[in-house]
Amino acid sequence: MIRRLLQVDFMKMKRKGFWFLTFLGPFGVVALQMVNYGLRKDYLLQQSEDNWGHYLGNITVFTPLALVLGIVILTSFIASVENETNAWKQLLALPVSKLSVYLSKFTVLAGLLFVSSILLAVFTLSFGIFLNLGEQIPWIELLKDSFYPFFAGLPVLALHLWIATVSTNQGIPITVGVLGTILTYSSYVLPDWVIWKWPSLNNGWNEPVINVWLGIGIGLLLYIGGMLDFARRDVK
Amino acid sequence: MLFSIIQSEWYKLRKSKIIFIILAGPLVGLFTGLNSNIAAENGELNKWYFIFMMMTLTYALLFLPLVTGVLAGFICRYEHQEGGWKQLLSLPVTRGRVYMAKFILLMGLVFFIQLLFLASLYTAGLIKGVQDPFPMQIVWKSIFGGWIATFPLVALQLWMSMIWKSFAAPFTVNVIGTLPAILAVNSETFGPIYPWGQPFLMMYIGGGTDAVFFIPWEQVLGVVGGSFLIFFTGGLLYFKRKMV
Repeated sequence: MIRRLLQVDFMKMKRKGFWFLTFLGPFGVVALQMVNYGLRKDYLLQQSEDNWGHYLGNITVFTPLALVLGIVILTSFIASVENETNAWKQLLALPVSKLSVYLSKFTVLAGLLFVSSILLAVFTLSFGIFLNLGEQIPWIELLKDSFYPFFAGLPVLALHLWIATVSTNQGIPITVGVLGTILTYSSYVLPDWVIWKWPSLNNGWNEPVINVWLGIGIGLLLYIGGMLDFARRDVK
Repeated sequence: MLFSIIQSEWYKLRKSKIIFIILAGPLVGLFTGLNSNIAAENGELNKWYFIFMMMTLTYALLFLPLVTGVLAGFICRYEHQEGGWKQLLSLPVTRGRVYMAKFILLMGLVFFIQLLFLASLYTAGLIKGVQDPFPMQIVWKSIFGGWIATFPLVALQLWMSMIWKSFAAPFTVNVIGTLPAILAVNSETFGPIYPWGQPFLMMYIGGGTDAVFFIPWEQVLGVVGGSFLIFFTGGLLYFKRKMV
């Protein structure tokens, strides 16, 4: 059943800009550095001996912000697809369980964000090679910077999918998203338990991988909470 | 007539959840204000300046541009549901006036958020026990300047919100404009001409403090005024031709 629900969700996404956004997020993050390095490459290369490290550092300034905003936009979009046409009733009148409808939406969005992470790695690598930053490509760091934020951001995805699906007024999830973005932007002053801090991969232990495990664990819990609440509610 | 349309717009908004958005402004202000480490600043500088600079950094760079889009989405929400545009425009009102009314109300809301931000600065300072004299003139300049700088952004977001039913689509346009501002305001070439960077440049205490605003008049008129004219006229022309 879940496979066919996924097919349905992918069909509903057609020509609504989901794939465009999936591409735009990682492209935008690297494009900002294209402008940055395009304008003052010499100055930026002088900043550090480790050109690749400095370049990856510049990229990771924007990755968490783009990820959190991308989550806000995608979850609101996927809820709007049903809200605008009052399709929740029709969808749930089919012989499908509410739990699997919710699982399907979550899987689709997680899939899109994962594709974004792959694209981020590809774009980062390509532009880095183009800049001629040196022979020693830091593969491990590159992959960490591209994929860790995705896992660390799963709790935000679970939370926003829940808020967006239960809100009839999509202004609410967007406002929460703006506040979350502010938290992500100020992550350096936040305590480690704030989920919006996790995509920045900072924590008191200086171990980015902790944010990955926290993201998967807490993300799963928030997902289950949201799913159970969604199943309990009436739809309009 | 314009006044009664504004009244009816206000009436539609009053019972919506708009209050959450309006309160988000001072919330962000308090959060950043209380997190600013004023103990680190022990020089001659007035401590109010320091706390205010920390607050405007996040507020004017990210929050203010982003929130214009949310407000604009809210103000078109009723009309996007169940044929609301048809109902509204079948009244004896002109489209131009409806557009003006929505825009004026939005600017009023942004101004109100600016005032609450000012209040949050004062509160944060009191909690932190700042003793220095409150630099009223400079802070007003910033609050007012920030408001002026949102004119083009509000106009663009109103236009986008009239096109799309969903909140997420106009918000995407807003995000695409706002994120690059983080880099743009650091650049001497791009900063002054980037519309989404202007709320920050007009609010951040820096530049010439003896002029009316923190940025030169040419920039206020050329960049803020120019982009406002383009976005406002574009939105108005779109709305006049919109199929409802």
